[in-house]
Amino acid sequence: MIEFKNISLNFDNKPVFVDFSAKIEINQHTCFAGASGKGKSTILKLIQGYVLPQKGEIAVHGLGLNAENIAAVRSQLAYIPQNIHLPVDNGSDLVKMLGFESKHDLILDYCSQMGLEKEFYTRKFDQMSGGQKQRLIVAVCLSLERQIILMDEPTASLDAESTEELLKVIRNLKNKTIVSASHNPVWIESADKIINL
Amino acid sequence: MKGSTQDIELLNLIIGFSVMIIPIAIFLYYRVRLVKDLLISSLRMIVQLALVAVYLEWIFKLNNAWINSAWVIVMILISAGTSIKRIKVSAKTFFIPFSLAVLFSLVIIDGFFLGLIIRLDYVFDARYFIPISGMILGNSLNHNIVGLSTYFDGLKQKRELYYFVLTNSGSQKLAIRPFIQEALVKGINPLLAGMSVMGLISLPGMMTGQILGGASPATAIKYQIMIMIAIFVGCVLSLTLSLWYANVKIFDKYGNVKGV
Repeated sequence: MIEFKNISLNFDNKPVFVDFSAKIEINQHTCFAGASGKGKSTILKLIQGYVLPQKGEIAVHGLGLNAENIAAVRSQLAYIPQNIHLPVDNGSDLVKMLGFESKHDLILDYCSQMGLEKEFYTRKFDQMSGGQKQRLIVAVCLSLERQIILMDEPTASLDAESTEELLKVIRNLKNKTIVSASHNPVWIESADKIINL
Repeated sequence: MKGSTQDIELLNLIIGFSVMIIPIAIFLYYRVRLVKDLLISSLRMIVQLALVAVYLEWIFKLNNAWINSAWVIVMILISAGTSIKRIKVSAKTFFIPFSLAVLFSLVIIDGFFLGLIIRLDYVFDARYFIPISGMILGNSLNHNIVGLSTYFDGLKQKRELYYFVLTNSGSQKLAIRPFIQEALVKGINPLLAGMSVMGLISLPGMMTGQILGGASPATAIKYQIMIMIAIFVGCVLSLTLSLWYANVKIFDKYGNVKGV
């Protein structure tokens, strides 16, 4: 379980969260919804310890989010950001950049589940559409086999068909906790739990 | 005339400055606000070089290891201060790390080239130690500024990439690698470009100076090759060490970027 207890957070003296509490159950898909600027992406950064609350506590599977536990917490997470600019040319180089080169078969399996042929793994990013690149990044991150998968606006560059394919993959994941931030109604409705910000 | 350099008369030096009218005219025509900066920089250059001429005359006469080393340390401190000012980072945080980075690289490069390659009996000989250290320092300064600015800007502007690699790889070493790669490429590329056309479209200052001073072109070229290698290794070393020292200061206990 991921637990937010009485979180208060200000950016530039403007409150983003005031005494915010929420629980994210394991092996479920929890989606944070809301308009831009409400703190959807910030929630994902709070879980990773990249943004630290001024008040309150966060615990991931019982581990309090602090400097001592941060490595142990992050080792349970996979993070899929939206529209990231990568300094590598293709999926194979991306895997090298992340330092795990032994999971090619698993990556190709996830690629195939998301409607990407094998050759996309080595195809240059600039020869792919935004949606194809996003699905490849999702396949690489899922192959990390982390228990908690954080997805920031996962459908931002996907068309309706690709969104459906991604949702199918997410639904078929076993024993995974998905935490997403989205404003796409189709994606939000597919979640087991919706937290409106 | 071999063995001595033709002196420049003071009046001729002043006349030489008259060509500055060309850039000033261009700046005025295009309303580029550089005229004031140009005048201040020119004045500073004249005063600084005149003072250096006086200091060097004195330093060369004494030729004392402690005084020569103290002079090089002053140059290192000015270089670190200039880097900090140009990169716009906290002097309190970065002055000592940047000074140490340049000092270590200079000790290694000077020791290797002056002691082992040129085989000076007296490594601290002012005629070699000060100008060669100065050339390494001057070049390191420029390339450090480009490399470190690229690194800090990258970490500021592409935080999402840093977070992405740090969470998914679990390794800060891997998370900062793309930023270090970019800093080294941008910092060192101009030096490589300069080396590749040396002698074709540029005649290096040290070589020109030695030939004007009466040295044979063959000796001047050997010194130039040596100094280019010393500059290149010195720049890569001081930039890498500055990046390492900076890393100690810019990440908090969570691995988050702070103070940049």
